[in-house]
Amino acid sequence: MTEERFVVVGNGPAGHQAAMTLKERVPDADVTVISRHRGSAYRPHLLPDFVAGKIPEADLYVCPTDSYKEKDVRLRTGQKVVSLDLKERSVALDHKEIVRFTGLIIAAGGKPRIPETLFIFRELMLTLKTLEDAKLWREKLSRCDSVLMMGGDLTSFAVTNALLQLNKKVYFMLDKEAFWPLRCDKATLEEAGHRLFRRGVEVLMERRVKSMARVSSRECEVQLNGDRVRAGIIGAFFGLVPDVRFLVGSGLRIDRGILVDEYLNAGSAGVFATGDCAQIYHPEIRDYWVSIGHDNAVNLGRTSALNLLGECVKVEAARESIFEVQGIRINTSWWMEF
Amino acid sequence: MAKVDLTVEICGMSGDGTIAAGGILNEAMSKAGLSVLAFDSYPAEIRGFGRCVTLSRFGDEEMVALDDKIHVLISLDDKQSQSRVPFLAREAMVLFDNRPPSYVDAAASIAAHVEPDVRLFGMPFGDLAAAASGSTRGRNLTALGGFAALMGIPPEFFHGVIRKKFSGKGEKVLEANLKSFDAGHRFALDEFGTVEEGLGDFHGEREEEERILISGNEAISRGALDAGLELYFGYPITPATPIMEYLAKALPPRGGRLVQMEDEIASIGAVLGSFFAGKRAMTATSGPGLALMTELITHGVMSETPAVIIDAQRGGPATGLPTKTEQSDLHAAVFGGPGDSARIVIAPTNVLECYSYTLWSFQLAEKYQTPVIVLTDFFLNNRVENLRLPAVSEAERADWNVYPEEEVREKYLRYNLTESGISPRAIPGMEGFLFSATGLEHTERGTPDYSPENHMKMTEKRHRKILGALSDLPEPQEFSEGVSLDVGVIAWGSTFGSAMEAASAARKQGLKVGALKITSIFPYHADKIREFMNRCREVLIPELNYEGQLANLIGHLHGKDVVRLNRTPGMPIPASMILDKVESIIGHG
Amino acid sequence: MAKTIKYSTDPEDFYYMGVNVPCQAACPASTNIPAYIRALYEEGYDLSYEINRLANILPGVLGRICSRPCEDRCRHGEAELGHPVNICHIKRAAADLKQGLSRPEASPWTPLGKKVAVVGSGPAGLAAGYDLSTIGFDVTIFEALDEAGGMLRYGIPEFRLPRSVLNEEIDRILTGGADLRTGVRVGKDAAVEELLRDFDAVLLAAGCYKSIPLGVPGESLPGVHPGLEFMMSVCSNRPPAIGDRVLVIGAGFTAFDCARSAVRLGAGDVAICLRRTEEDLRVTKDEVLETKKEGINILSLMLSRRVLGSTRVEGVEFVRTSPGEVSPDGKRTIAAIEGSEFVLPADSVIVAAGQRPEPIEAGALKDAQGLAAADRDSFRTSLKGLYVAGDYLTGPSTVIESVGMGRRAAERIARDLTGKAFREKAVRMEEAEITDRKRTWDYLPREEMPAVQPVQERFRRLNVEVETGLTPERAKEESKRCYLCYLHYEIDVSRCIYCRYCIDVAPRDCIKLVKEVLTNEVGAVTGFVETTRWREVNAVVIDNSRCIRCGECMRVCPVNCISVTRVELTERPAEEGLSHD
Repeated sequence: MTEERFVVVGNGPAGHQAAMTLKERVPDADVTVISRHRGSAYRPHLLPDFVAGKIPEADLYVCPTDSYKEKDVRLRTGQKVVSLDLKERSVALDHKEIVRFTGLIIAAGGKPRIPETLFIFRELMLTLKTLEDAKLWREKLSRCDSVLMMGGDLTSFAVTNALLQLNKKVYFMLDKEAFWPLRCDKATLEEAGHRLFRRGVEVLMERRVKSMARVSSRECEVQLNGDRVRAGIIGAFFGLVPDVRFLVGSGLRIDRGILVDEYLNAGSAGVFATGDCAQIYHPEIRDYWVSIGHDNAVNLGRTSALNLLGECVKVEAARESIFEVQGIRINTSWWMEF
Repeated sequence: MAKVDLTVEICGMSGDGTIAAGGILNEAMSKAGLSVLAFDSYPAEIRGFGRCVTLSRFGDEEMVALDDKIHVLISLDDKQSQSRVPFLAREAMVLFDNRPPSYVDAAASIAAHVEPDVRLFGMPFGDLAAAASGSTRGRNLTALGGFAALMGIPPEFFHGVIRKKFSGKGEKVLEANLKSFDAGHRFALDEFGTVEEGLGDFHGEREEEERILISGNEAISRGALDAGLELYFGYPITPATPIMEYLAKALPPRGGRLVQMEDEIASIGAVLGSFFAGKRAMTATSGPGLALMTELITHGVMSETPAVIIDAQRGGPATGLPTKTEQSDLHAAVFGGPGDSARIVIAPTNVLECYSYTLWSFQLAEKYQTPVIVLTDFFLNNRVENLRLPAVSEAERADWNVYPEEEVREKYLRYNLTESGISPRAIPGMEGFLFSATGLEHTERGTPDYSPENHMKMTEKRHRKILGALSDLPEPQEFSEGVSLDVGVIAWGSTFGSAMEAASAARKQGLKVGALKITSIFPYHADKIREFMNRCREVLIPELNYEGQLANLIGHLHGKDVVRLNRTPGMPIPASMILDKVESIIGHG
Repeated sequence: MAKTIKYSTDPEDFYYMGVNVPCQAACPASTNIPAYIRALYEEGYDLSYEINRLANILPGVLGRICSRPCEDRCRHGEAELGHPVNICHIKRAAADLKQGLSRPEASPWTPLGKKVAVVGSGPAGLAAGYDLSTIGFDVTIFEALDEAGGMLRYGIPEFRLPRSVLNEEIDRILTGGADLRTGVRVGKDAAVEELLRDFDAVLLAAGCYKSIPLGVPGESLPGVHPGLEFMMSVCSNRPPAIGDRVLVIGAGFTAFDCARSAVRLGAGDVAICLRRTEEDLRVTKDEVLETKKEGINILSLMLSRRVLGSTRVEGVEFVRTSPGEVSPDGKRTIAAIEGSEFVLPADSVIVAAGQRPEPIEAGALKDAQGLAAADRDSFRTSLKGLYVAGDYLTGPSTVIESVGMGRRAAERIARDLTGKAFREKAVRMEEAEITDRKRTWDYLPREEMPAVQPVQERFRRLNVEVETGLTPERAKEESKRCYLCYLHYEIDVSRCIYCRYCIDVAPRDCIKLVKEVLTNEVGAVTGFVETTRWREVNAVVIDNSRCIRCGECMRVCPVNCISVTRVELTERPAEEGLSHD
């Protein structure tokens, strides 16, 4: 009989996998997953397909909420972790409850980044990260014909695909901010732009936003230097920034994300970070990187759980692999460098 | 349009304003046009210790029983509310305070205990109340405001009720409460929006439909007053005390009087004396008090003197469980006391019947010159329903005494052996009518007599008289479709509501199930009951007592053993339990 | 009827103030913050300004550029209570909204016949010079540059501190009687030994004007600017030419000022390169956000190794760093991760890696850096009459620390020269009623400082002040948020009936059932031993360190046994003959 109390913060692909791995390996451990999302774990990388209407909501879910009880994993939904006390080995929830742990895996994920220069226009832009966001997109898309995509991160290409399938007019403002925080080179930008153009997307390169305003109940207008674009939705796709502000001051080292080694250890015994919120220094890559993508998250989730249980599994460092995203070749090292 | 059937619980520590909030909620939902059935439970202590729970069921159709599953739980104290978690329905909503004064452990947080499908809505009740009104005292209303927003209920219904409730306490208190409510409403709308649509169009009550929220105890009191009650004699006992409290205030302005006697024996004595002298009187008690009254009740039987006794049943025996509901006084009410002492026993099944049966009982007592025991139970006495009390006709208030004809004055026989068994009764003071009334066995003239034939004749007369009341007593009422049934559920008192709901649910599943309501406990309509039973393959009698007291009384009318569902948990039998039993009976059949 | 007012100099009362008015305790100048916030609430802008001025002679300046150690300690910023009061911006509002001043400016003290020379007209020098001149010393302030102000004028750009505000306050300081001599560099144009002969005391408050280089190869390439010089040029209206891609290496206020000045000079791509992370920055969060809004990138965890280029700078080679623990001096250790080198291209590089004092030859015993060695508490050097204060003594710190130090140096000099202290700290206690603060004010959201939007508007000229100031209405709203921690709530144990209604209405764990009260060696309350067992309870106690002064307990107490006292840490002229050490 074990006294272990494992707490996983976040029920996305990484958190969900981490919890399941912990339970598989130590069946009588107390495993609690705390998620601020209501409902069971779902697959965020399928959200663009959901927006496109290609799959129903039910297909997004990994498993029904009842199955957590069957597996003896305590799932707490609609509850948010707001701080960590390393000394007391506890986390505090938004409703001022203290939850103690012997082992902690933080899988808080990322949140959509809005560049500070566009902060004042925040209210006018739509991001796509959660299921609630996706439902909002669907609702708004039913009432408009055009979308201005701003940025150019991994999700933006999948969403563009979805929009084209729905026969919406797509404008794409592609700029160096998109691949934040890396400044990418001109050649890559141009190739990406070219590919989009061939799919029927109107591409706007190297523009600066001067102003953004709602001009009617159905449309917004964006003033760029040299252009004016009207669209029903303005989508912000500037990448995900790890959602870890709540850990500042806890004693964990925080830069963009939670700084961890190649074993995902966050520098304190029994505390690991995984998924999109972990900023990993990998000696083989020789730089800091944050993973993106569903499969990476699942792998990292498993790795962090195994390492919490005492194993020594190194995070795989995929090298210069090139993959195709929506017909655009992208070097994954871009996504991994800081 | 979705059928509305919503069970809402507010749970807190005593001192949190739980009961007050529940009252406002019930009134507001009633004003919004919904039917209400509500039941509170609270401890004796005024503050600091003990759990208060208000349970309300709202619907667009009349509610006859409480649900055993909670759809919305409003937690004003998380430690207390945890005990309610096992009763939450799937995807239930829980509103709780997410800014307690200090950090808490899992033991003091309801969020730590609910299943993952439960939808949590955390709101800073105390902070919102303080921000709006300067004090946290209104936090119970803040929680109600949040509830109203989540369910899409127009806040105006609540505003009106709050105004009425606090108008006597000064403008400042009223403002503080309204602000606290609005703060919760605003917050929830901003933060969550309306989550439950389709709860009805909330047309609100039409004036001609206006209903009042009334408890069983209040209904009994008003039934008695509308019957022209002038005198009440009693001794406080849970759960009948509120009747005494209500009448203590209501009688004097009407020219009536209430006397708290030294015990229940004196109380029944005074009631009998009052009726003997021609004035309607009443006493209300519970099991232990009824036991004390027994001898004098049989005196009323022997002397053929009317009396009205309300027995509000509670957990027994002896002092038992004073704040828990039970239906275990049937034997005592029907058979209690020395000798062959048949008397009338009736049992209402809902608040409206509490009113009308009490009203009626005076007439029955007068006509049949007998004590009438009205059996209610804790749940029925304390629960609140919204309904329209019917206007009372003169006929319903009329004096049902059977007076003697002028002619017989000289040779008046008080205990005349008549065909019906009813001997016309002179009231003391009626000029020329001299008689004696006694608890000893007596001749037709009233003089004591112990001879064998006389006793046999008088005993038979008294019983014939009581059986004759069947024509004036409500017949059993059937709720079924079709003639032959697989299971017939027979129930009495507040259990009948659950039985009816269970039977209805079974019919929706395509099962042949019917329900029979028995309100005349004694005498009972044997032929009608037998006729119903003959059409049932099995008969199920659920009741809140261990021995199956109604089953013992009428079970013999069925060709075979009745199936009993006897429970003594101190709480009402939920419809789901009766349904499960019905399904298992059918399954095995 | 007069209220009882008492003054105390008991150590236990000073201890209490340190714990219970955390903002004042955190302020290096011990500004009476709750009092000036309350004065602004009552629309006494002049009074609010004056209260500030008692502790800090540059309220308008600090109200814009202070590092705000008070706000980090503000009770309203504790975990579940929300955000700290915008103390600094209320100070600015008082300065902006004041009509005139209530105190006469001319020196009210009789001249003492003694002369003091103050070297340096930065915050430390100005503070010391003002104090000394207003109590009767004949003060001369020597300033090497053309105008007074030091870093305030030459290090901080106008878009953060308008010159008009600085000039007005310097003028006001000088009406105290000090004589300002600009263009005189002590150590070159005049020797310290000369001054020590002509003056009874000399205070070196010359600041830190020597840039610390990175010490990497290539640093001397054209296009690499030391940060301090860069700012001095910008502030003197002689901005240097810079390229389009600018890297600023450094993490202090100077680095941020350089980066924001660079975008105003037309650079399109400016990045600040940190060795540590954003979380380790001492610059205020407001400033970091405005910096990002201006399009400046903040890059972290990188240590510069080499400046690359042939005839001029073309880029910088960095290596990744790994952050370690925070060491006792407050800085986080970092380790370079070998093998992680990478290059960022640049047209200009600004090095803002710190400043040091430029040693002035004085004839006193020197320390390891070649400066006159001085004691940090007494400011004395090995030479009688020679004192050191401000950044020149401690290395770069903040303006408010320098102001505080300047005042304490003035007290030390005055005592050494006259044998007497001219002022002392005391705790002033006055009976109070509950103020008309409402509980609802505790939930008011923090008023944020409005800034010029859209961002392009800021770049029209170099001196567009970015933060535009709180309006009187907004300042008043913000002032409502201060709990007024100078109020002390106490339950009279002899009259309390232990009904605990106060605990029921308490907003947090501020009223306790106490078995024992813990005290320290001076008799000050340091803690409580609480109990949940009724029989052990000796008293119901209000823990003032948790109390948010909402007054609910007083309103609900059925026996009125809770008293309120206004307790303030103030200064007053010392009685003749008293001297404290």
